[in-house]
Amino acid sequence: MGQIHLKEIKSISYEKSEVKKGYTDQSLRINLDSNDIIINPIEDKIKDKFIGGKGYDLWLMWNNVNGDTKWNDPENTVCISSGPLGGTPGYPGGGKSIVTAISPLTGAPIDSNVGGYFGPYKKFSGFDVIQIDGKSNKDIVILIDGIENTIKLFNVKNLPEDSYELSDVLTRHFDETKPVNVSVVTAGPGAEHTYFGCLNFSWWDAGRKMVRYKQAGRGGIGTVFANKKVKAVVARYGAVSMKTNSPADLTALKAVTKTHAKEIHTLDPKQNRMAVVGTTHLVPIMNDHDCLPVHNFKFGSHPESKVIGEEVYEHIFDKGFDGCWKGCAVACAHGVKDFSPFTGPYRGKKVFVDGPEYETVAGCGSNLGIFDAQTILEINFYCDAYGLDTISVGTSLGFVMECFENHQITIDHTGGMDLSFGSRFNALEIIHQMARGEGFGSIVGKGIRKMKAIFAKDFGANAAFMQDIGMESKGLEFSEYITKESLAQQGGYGLALKGPQHDEAWLIFLDMVHNFMPTFANKAEALHWFPMFRTWFALCGLCKLPWNDIVPEDNKNNPEPAKVVKHVGWYADFFSAVTGRKTGPEDLISMSEAVYNFQRIFNLKMGYGTREHDTVPYRAVGPVTVEEYKSRQKRYDDQLIEKYNLDISDMTSEEKVASLRQKREEQYEVLKDAVYERRGWTQNGIPTIETVKRLGIDFPEVLEVLKKNGVE
Amino acid sequence: MIEVDEKQIEWSENMTIASLLETLDNSEFCSVVRINGKLFSSPLFAETMISDNSKIQLLPLVAGG
Ligand code: SF4
Repeated sequence: MGQIHLKEIKSISYEKSEVKKGYTDQSLRINLDSNDIIINPIEDKIKDKFIGGKGYDLWLMWNNVNGDTKWNDPENTVCISSGPLGGTPGYPGGGKSIVTAISPLTGAPIDSNVGGYFGPYKKFSGFDVIQIDGKSNKDIVILIDGIENTIKLFNVKNLPEDSYELSDVLTRHFDETKPVNVSVVTAGPGAEHTYFGCLNFSWWDAGRKMVRYKQAGRGGIGTVFANKKVKAVVARYGAVSMKTNSPADLTALKAVTKTHAKEIHTLDPKQNRMAVVGTTHLVPIMNDHDCLPVHNFKFGSHPESKVIGEEVYEHIFDKGFDGCWKGCAVACAHGVKDFSPFTGPYRGKKVFVDGPEYETVAGCGSNLGIFDAQTILEINFYCDAYGLDTISVGTSLGFVMECFENHQITIDHTGGMDLSFGSRFNALEIIHQMARGEGFGSIVGKGIRKMKAIFAKDFGANAAFMQDIGMESKGLEFSEYITKESLAQQGGYGLALKGPQHDEAWLIFLDMVHNFMPTFANKAEALHWFPMFRTWFALCGLCKLPWNDIVPEDNKNNPEPAKVVKHVGWYADFFSAVTGRKTGPEDLISMSEAVYNFQRIFNLKMGYGTREHDTVPYRAVGPVTVEEYKSRQKRYDDQLIEKYNLDISDMTSEEKVASLRQKREEQYEVLKDAVYERRGWTQNGIPTIETVKRLGIDFPEVLEVLKKNGVE
Repeated sequence: MIEVDEKQIEWSENMTIASLLETLDNSEFCSVVRINGKLFSSPLFAETMISDNSKIQLLPLVAGG
């Protein structure tokens, strides 16, 4: 590769707004139509209501897009924020970035929570949030330099195409002597050619002396980024300490940080061992509980899953500190060094693979019938390097493979490739095609919702069958858990604002294994509290894993162990210590509730956000086919007899499938009613006037959207 | 003797994970245990025998991704 070329096209110097109590109270807007760089104050009333993080992102987006804005319109806005608590070194999970845009997959706001140092570096450089709108006509790199107090735009040539190399090259370019001062956000060629492009957020791994990255995966924000011709956004900042956030009470902050970190150091080795195996411990656990997606979510377990779980990856992961934030005690962001891909542009070279996490193993492994740890690593590597979301890739390919095995599509449509389950080389070839925007891969890269339409229209596939097996809701591909036996988690996915991602609610075990929520009211309560509390992490710039993946030893004695009440108390203390705003555990829920409802109304503004959009494919609810029914026949037969009082003695398998379906689909609708009521929404799933008034989000433009949708 | 969460407990013949958990307080939210480094989930509790001198950790409520 020749010399990289960066031509400065705009530069401003600015007086840095010092951080006070976790906030800079400024936002930065880069408009790519005009290359304007605009610094705006953030008003107190916005700070009080939206808190920071995702709240700020959504507010800025709301003001920049209208109801007709499409993902590839210049008005679409990529926002990246930290949050008031973000950038606290040593606090476990204390340095996340939250990214939003209008999604190419869903047409509505999408949000993603990601590690790496970018969010804190950007904040400490003077900006709580940045918004990027407009569209550049040339490839562009944006630099926010909090050491020099300058913001620069560059037109660029001859940069590496993929994120793997690009992150490294730009890190060294912008601070060769102290690369730890640099964090880079990049997409990649896959983001350019698909609808589920991700963003890679980097950090410098001082131990290994190399650039690492984590992904803002969901919903195609990388695609929007690439469509604006942004090659990278770079933040540069110097040393960070606990004082950098200028906390209101440094002593209290140090105390709560030490308490939480110490507990993790002590208990993680006795619990999930995330510092050793990351989230791969979930593979055998999900498999044994029949919740691991196998063959496009048809089944929940497979005997070969033991070769793709923690027992294998524990030995493959490179040893060393793996925190994606400075000093994170969980340190679960593992990787594999000296991996040698057997396909694609890096074939035969040695690379470092960041991952895999559970979602990638399940989505791109068991769900595709690929029980091979090396192939999963290779898929992981190329998805990241190309800027592709491994969850959407895995779930989309699972759909394609089932369509192929079911003869809905044939080799005439796939460019001659056999895409049966387990076809690992062809799965990889599809991923390379996605990056090049070529062949059948370019169709797969449009996501399941669009594939269903294309397969039906152009290939004559059965639309009803694809509707049942295509694991998407709201246009977003499901993350990797089987929900058939957990009605609460069906709601956790179907009622999630952005689409079926588990970061709002993960209730499978509480519901299915422990039967902790037997009534609809119990389930509705859980589908209120958990999404609200989990939203709070995205407001503050935190990672949720330290909340409930390592828990106090006495947590089991608490009447509500799933809430990990002691940690909720620590988070309230953390918030009080940084912001100076006296906060109790219950306040965290009300902070989130305002932003959560605002996001629901944002969906409404974009033409979604009502009951009809909260549906899930029947594959998520129960057995679509006789084959699936028979795989759990006893369980389903028992349910028909005992729960629904049906005489099944003369029923054919097809009739049993149909009866179970009718019952389960009815239950899902009853669940929606219960959740809407608990959340203070109408039976069409829209927040009522009383709810928006109670939450203080009754802005005129919010009321106008409600009125347009019959709520006044 | 077996060790359960760092406490010594008398081992008995025919001891399964399920029968062990029945003797412990507040173990109803335990759906995964680690025995000598290997994970066992609740569907296997009734059939999994515990051998003498095993080292057992009761994992907390599974929290998901
Ligand atoms: S818990 Fe894991 S993912 Fe979260 S910040 Fe720490 S290292 Fe990163």
